[in-house]
Amino acid sequence: MDKEPHISQRFDEELNAVHALVLAMGGVVEEQISNAVKALQDADADLAREVVARDHEVNGYEVQIEEECINILAMRQPAAGDLRLVMTLIKSIADLERMGDKASKIADMVLAMGHGTRNANPAFLRDVGVMADYALNMLRRAMDALARADAEQAVAVAKGDEVLNQEYRSALRRLITYMMEDPRTITPAIDALFIAKAIERIGDHARNICEYVIYLAKGKNVRHLPLDEVVKSIQGK
Amino acid sequence: MKAAGNARYLRRRVWNIFNLGMAMATTLFGLFWLVWILWTTLSYGATAFNLELFTGDTPAPGSIGGLRNAFVGSLLMIGVAVLIGTPVGILAGTYLAEFAQGRRLAGAIRFFNDILLSAPSIVIGLFIYAVVVVPMGHFSGLAGALSLAILFLPVVLRTTDEMLGLVPSTMREAALALGAPHWKMIVQVSYRAARSGILTGVLLAVARISGETAPLLFTALSNQFFSTNLDQPIANVPVVIFQFAMSPYPEWQHLAWAGALIAAMAVLVLSLVSRFLIKDRSPR
Amino acid sequence: MPEPQKTKISVRHLDFFYGSNHSLRDINLDVPERQVTAFIGPSGCGKSTLLRVFNRMYSLYPGQRATGEVLLDGDNVLALGMDVNLLRAKVGMVFQKPTPFPMSIYDNIAFGIKLYERLRKVEMDERVEQALRQAALWEEVKDKLKTSGLGLSGGQQQRLCIARAVAVKPEVILLDEPTSALDPIATLKIEELVSELRNHFTILIVTHNMQQAARVSDYTAFMYIGEMVEFGPTNQLFTNPSKKQTEDYITGRYG
Repeated sequence: MDKEPHISQRFDEELNAVHALVLAMGGVVEEQISNAVKALQDADADLAREVVARDHEVNGYEVQIEEECINILAMRQPAAGDLRLVMTLIKSIADLERMGDKASKIADMVLAMGHGTRNANPAFLRDVGVMADYALNMLRRAMDALARADAEQAVAVAKGDEVLNQEYRSALRRLITYMMEDPRTITPAIDALFIAKAIERIGDHARNICEYVIYLAKGKNVRHLPLDEVVKSIQGK
Repeated sequence: MKAAGNARYLRRRVWNIFNLGMAMATTLFGLFWLVWILWTTLSYGATAFNLELFTGDTPAPGSIGGLRNAFVGSLLMIGVAVLIGTPVGILAGTYLAEFAQGRRLAGAIRFFNDILLSAPSIVIGLFIYAVVVVPMGHFSGLAGALSLAILFLPVVLRTTDEMLGLVPSTMREAALALGAPHWKMIVQVSYRAARSGILTGVLLAVARISGETAPLLFTALSNQFFSTNLDQPIANVPVVIFQFAMSPYPEWQHLAWAGALIAAMAVLVLSLVSRFLIKDRSPR
Repeated sequence: MPEPQKTKISVRHLDFFYGSNHSLRDINLDVPERQVTAFIGPSGCGKSTLLRVFNRMYSLYPGQRATGEVLLDGDNVLALGMDVNLLRAKVGMVFQKPTPFPMSIYDNIAFGIKLYERLRKVEMDERVEQALRQAALWEEVKDKLKTSGLGLSGGQQQRLCIARAVAVKPEVILLDEPTSALDPIATLKIEELVSELRNHFTILIVTHNMQQAARVSDYTAFMYIGEMVEFGPTNQLFTNPSKKQTEDYITGRYG
């Protein structure tokens, strides 16, 4: 963020520190998701176990950041842009933590499916791979927008969520077709469906973060607004 | 480092003790003379102290008497001086403090008032002699009272000005902010806040003029007999003390000491009363 | 947001001069009725000066003058024909330092009432009690109404001053940094009082304490070097100010 320093240098330091922590948390979550998907594709149980084990790290970040944000609220009584930044961070970490949970859930499923995955139709997972790349990209760019309080990029990322949702719907249709053709595929197809759903949810969380970023940068709450109006309202500023 | 600090500390301590010692010594020096004066007045005056002092008039040499005529004359003249000086002084002080803020006239008035305040009293006496006594053709109590009033006025003016100046301007603003007219604000708020201060000023001014001799020599002169006629020369304590103390007669000298004691006591009482008033004021 | 507020005071093109010093520049402002409007800004920004225009307090001092219009219910306060004393009865003021008059608590309140009304003793007693109750001071002083107002604590003195202002039944109350000389508890009591008084009076408060402005006011004006930088609903100004200067000030970025 491109702003003059506060009179209180320590306040700047505190804000910068907690901001950096959130970005670090975003990095860990990104890695967790990418590892979970990789474990799924490679049927790598060790990697999946690692993902499950690392989930507490994400939770730890959330607790720590929340505490520091509360301290800032209590000690500094931030206003205006500072207040919006702290609120944005508090809300973003909740979404990041949920994304971490999704990664951990995918890893859990990898472990539950066990060696059975190998026999499943790889086509089931083809959609998942594409969707995961897309969601990861969204997350990466959302964190980037957060780092720079860049509302334009946030809007662009949020818009992309629609693409991911469509991907999910077509994956759903395809998986239903498989299940209707061959009832024996129902179990692996439903597994794949859950995973696709988890990835779709990751995209939703990334979109949430983008909305917070728009609030941070423009001071407008654009949640629950159609995207065209969001674009209009931030351009109006 | 530590040793250097200690040396410096020691030096400061020594310097502090030295200064404290000097201050105490000079205070004792001043007090010494004051006590001596009081003691002398008291010891000489007490011997001449009796009821006759208040009932008899100034006697002829060799006979017994008191200072009744002098006390009454002094009280009369002081009373008239206060009656003239207080309203004029308070009103003028009010003008300076309440109306003339920042005007050049106020500076000029304060300057001349200060000159009047520090003018030798004999000059005032001479002035009244020239403008009152000479045209009237004789000395009079009224002339004495006038000269005392002129001495009295600048003190009251000055204290009124200063005491009103001490009233916080926010208090005035608060009264005006309620919609009070200016005069009401002054009478009900400023005067009330400065009341004891102004009264103290008046009392101190009374103390000041009650011991004045020089202006009375030129104006009221004195009178050997009891008189309350302000148109005529009138007896008064300071001049009687002056005359009697200079005289070769021991009875007169004793009376002079008694008069001096009474005058000193009166000033002391006035100072105590004004001190009490100031204390009464302090809790705010 | 509730329905649009009725305007109590409109300021139009107000300029103010201390001698040759141009200390307020083209101020335009609509103060809504029965709301609390706070004025914030760094020292010397002119917020107190502006407040003292509303009751013509400045005109006590030679060399201070205001041009433009300040309309109180449509009447120009700055007009030559304005009866300043009547204006001040309508626009009360409470100052930074508590300024009880050197008289009893009762007389402090009665002073202002007596200026404009002739009441019987019983009615006066009632009015004094009512004013003290409105200022949340009655319970603390009801047994010592005849003692000096100077004997009260700082916070009580300030509430006495508020009671004194309220007793005259003004329409507008100007508060010039009313809590800057008080401890935090006394400050909270005054703030609580302000929230209660907002139902009956149009309140304008100058404060150095931004959190105070945020806590007590409905609207906030941010001023900087004699200019009105931003004016708007308090919650908006404190979460999303539209001007960078405002943002810098309320987030503590001014040197």
